[in-house]
Amino acid sequence: MLGEKPNRSFIPLALLVFAGALVADAAAQSPSNGLRSPESFATIVDESRRSQALFTELGKVLTHPRCLNCHPVGDRPRQGEHGRLHQPPVARGPDGFGLDSLRCPICHQSANFDPGRVPGHPEWHLAPFEMGWHGKSLHDICVQIKDPARNGGRSVTDLTHHIGDDTLVGWAWAPGFGREPAPGTQKEAGALVEAWVKTGAACPD
Amino acid sequence: MTTLALTINGRAYGPMDVRDELTMNDFLRETLGMTGTKFGCGAAQCLSCAVIVDDPNGTSYTSPTCIVPAVGFNGKSIRTVEGHARNGELSPLQKAFVSHFAFQCGYCTAGFLNESQVLLERLARNPVPRDKLEATITEALDGHLCRCTGYIRYHEAVRDVILADPELYLAP
Repeated sequence: MLGEKPNRSFIPLALLVFAGALVADAAAQSPSNGLRSPESFATIVDESRRSQALFTELGKVLTHPRCLNCHPVGDRPRQGEHGRLHQPPVARGPDGFGLDSLRCPICHQSANFDPGRVPGHPEWHLAPFEMGWHGKSLHDICVQIKDPARNGGRSVTDLTHHIGDDTLVGWAWAPGFGREPAPGTQKEAGALVEAWVKTGAACPD
Repeated sequence: MTTLALTINGRAYGPMDVRDELTMNDFLRETLGMTGTKFGCGAAQCLSCAVIVDDPNGTSYTSPTCIVPAVGFNGKSIRTVEGHARNGELSPLQKAFVSHFAFQCGYCTAGFLNESQVLLERLARNPVPRDKLEATITEALDGHLCRCTGYIRYHEAVRDVILADPELYLAP
């Protein structure tokens, strides 16, 4: 029947549109283990929605094991790509640098020591108890990170410098042998925070 | 290569050039031949490799050696299991370990000994009440693994040494 024959002129057009959509979608997606730039969110007209999208992109960093492992909920740090509890069984201690019997810097030197598979930084320690993120949703992390009582007394503007410039945070992008770096670069993450703040620091639903 | 100089059991070593990748455990065992410090898990999870570090502020603490670079000990003063006995006489802790038959294969003993010694020194500075002693010992030795399961005997040995001198180690 004539009516059942496909419209041959429509098929290439449909393929073209579909392929074009794929290309556009691919361009909007972050590269493998990368971060999208703030500019790539400009097509989101609604500022609040754009802000949410910016934080969602930043969330790839905040929920990465390199960040989560030292933002535990509780007193035990975590380690590895799957957030298993730290071995040996160390604890936070009163200042976040461990208990008297086993302080963090005893093993964690001022720089990564790859032969021993030990990460390092001069200030290696846990994020404060109230800044624990492990297991929380991105919405909850967002609300928490904006709360000065739970973010180290920082304004949202301060967060740009903390995430974009702090060298201990920066370790997440140079974590040493056998550990996956956080997505993108610290500079890109800082740019996302800055754009998120400028758009009202809205939290994802 | 980095220049390393340190004090071990009161004796100066170095300055000498060592590879940046050399672990402290290999430095002690292979470079200096001090094999009393053991290599166990290689991941600081058993602490059989722990040595005592004497902090310039007068306190002491233990450090694993298997995952820490030798150059990380530059300028420091440490004690190993070889440094506990004096003139051939075992220290009170060593005697207690023997009398309690705390160790069997002995592989973990150097780590337990050093940790226990640090505990004694900490209690001498900050004594604890008798009712907190058991928890204090447990916490101090936590993290040290003994495949022969000598935990209770180690605990009892340390407790005996402390109770033998309550004025030094226990708060009134």
